[in-house]
Amino acid sequence: MMLTVLLLVTQVAVQDPRLERLDPETRSLVVSVVDSARAVGLPGEPLIQRALEGVTKGAQGPRIVAAVRRLATDLGTARSALGTRATTPELEAGVAALRAGAGPQVLTQLRDARRPPLTMALAVLADLVTSGVPVDSASAIVLAFAPTARDADLVEFRRAVERDISLGAPPGAAASVRALNTGIRGANDAAVPPGQPPRPPSRP
Amino acid sequence: MLDAGISYVEYDGFLPSGAASLAPSIRWDHPRGRGFVSARGTYLRFESGNRSLDFSARGSFFMPLARRWRGELGAGVGASDYASIAHFSHGIVDARVHLMDQDRGGWFSTSVGRSSFGDGPRPVAVVAMGVWLLKNEASISASLDRSFVGDTAYSDLRSSARLQRGGIQLDGTLGARVFSNGAGHGVYGEASVLVPLGQGAAVIVAAGRYPTDVITGSIAGRYVSAGFRLGKLGFRPSRPAERPQAGIPPLSTGADGSVPPGETRLEVTNRGADEPVRLTLYAPDARAVEISGDFTDWQPVQLQRSATKRDAWEGAFRIAPGIHRINVRRDGGPWTAPAGTTRSADDFGGEVGVFLLP
Repeated sequence: MMLTVLLLVTQVAVQDPRLERLDPETRSLVVSVVDSARAVGLPGEPLIQRALEGVTKGAQGPRIVAAVRRLATDLGTARSALGTRATTPELEAGVAALRAGAGPQVLTQLRDARRPPLTMALAVLADLVTSGVPVDSASAIVLAFAPTARDADLVEFRRAVERDISLGAPPGAAASVRALNTGIRGANDAAVPPGQPPRPPSRP
Repeated sequence: MLDAGISYVEYDGFLPSGAASLAPSIRWDHPRGRGFVSARGTYLRFESGNRSLDFSARGSFFMPLARRWRGELGAGVGASDYASIAHFSHGIVDARVHLMDQDRGGWFSTSVGRSSFGDGPRPVAVVAMGVWLLKNEASISASLDRSFVGDTAYSDLRSSARLQRGGIQLDGTLGARVFSNGAGHGVYGEASVLVPLGQGAAVIVAAGRYPTDVITGSIAGRYVSAGFRLGKLGFRPSRPAERPQAGIPPLSTGADGSVPPGETRLEVTNRGADEPVRLTLYAPDARAVEISGDFTDWQPVQLQRSATKRDAWEGAFRIAPGIHRINVRRDGGPWTAPAGTTRSADDFGGEVGVFLLP
């Protein structure tokens, strides 16, 4: 039975016409990674997309395979942190957060603090860190937002920070100031260890 | 004139703290009431050892317009620094028209200027109107204003009253911040009493809560303060106006929207779940613009030149909410990450733009 399922899954991947853009050797290796991921319940689509991205950018086969394998590993880490109920967009956003520097425990805390979907909160976390906000500060702010903020609030917060940064504000200060202005206490404290709850506010 | 005092203050987002302040100020009035110039500096030191420096100056010139009408042109500048961490500055010019009677009057004003946090200037525009009334030893006033600082906008409805009797001066204000985007909401109010001690000296006690001032960069807080005033007596609320600038409220018009030659900038317009998402790429001087992303299966797609927007190229795509990756190519060149996205290293030695679709 298990073998049948695996064969069916493999067949689906092989028949995905989009992968025809890969050379045969690379395609075979990518399909193998995708099949293995699907066999353990991870989504295959992000892996296929990563391979296609590599093709479009003219990457060599081994580099494409390495990228797909790395992504599969990161998706596994994200799922361990977010739980088996995490959706594909949540896992992709989780990978972005992990690669930005957030620890798996931050993802787990976020899962515990916020009702799903977590996609936007994770994406905003990744985005803040990528923009230069220290990962500890970004984690503390997003965790502080998590219980009550709507997705739209998170997006607006992210947009505001981005614009402040584009105007010359230091990323950490921009995020803290915006968070303070939104009423997020503890966001002014930039030295929260990853995975720890936000520290209480400091004295001026 | 010199104010010296101590305060117990709780800024929003900070723990309560004691603070000591020194605030020299100077003012010159034209002998025939044609204008004035004033300046004030403040040194504030908190319990933590952090300090705040603040300087502001303002001048106004008055001119008669008609029988009961009077014009006023003014300008103000200011700068502040909190713990060598946050720096703020602003410059404002304003024009005001007064309609004055013996014991009542009204005014309308407009102000424009710049406010800066770090290196980023933001445009400031304020429209305001107010009325005032004098009655024996008391005066009351009310005003309504609408302020725009970058994309932060807010309105304040304020009222104030002053009662002066036997040399003792009582002041109170009550206000509300409404229709605010990025500057907080809520009711605020302050009260103070000035008691003269003799020639050139007074005690001032004050308490209250004030809102965030986006233009000068101060954050909202509540306080109790007590202090001495030395020099020519006149009233000025002794709240710790030089609160820490770390919480400089924010702004943001964002970049001015211009795109340097050779660069591209992405704009995403999402009109709803059933509508395709419109992507607009601004690419000055480009002859052809292609995009490629996870929503095109990384197949290059040629964008169409916009019929209405200069330097813009557009396309509509079905894109699911979430986090997406995109690259742009202009005139057959290399794939790049456009501005307007978060640029990240891809896995292939290049860069990729990441954007969020709510």
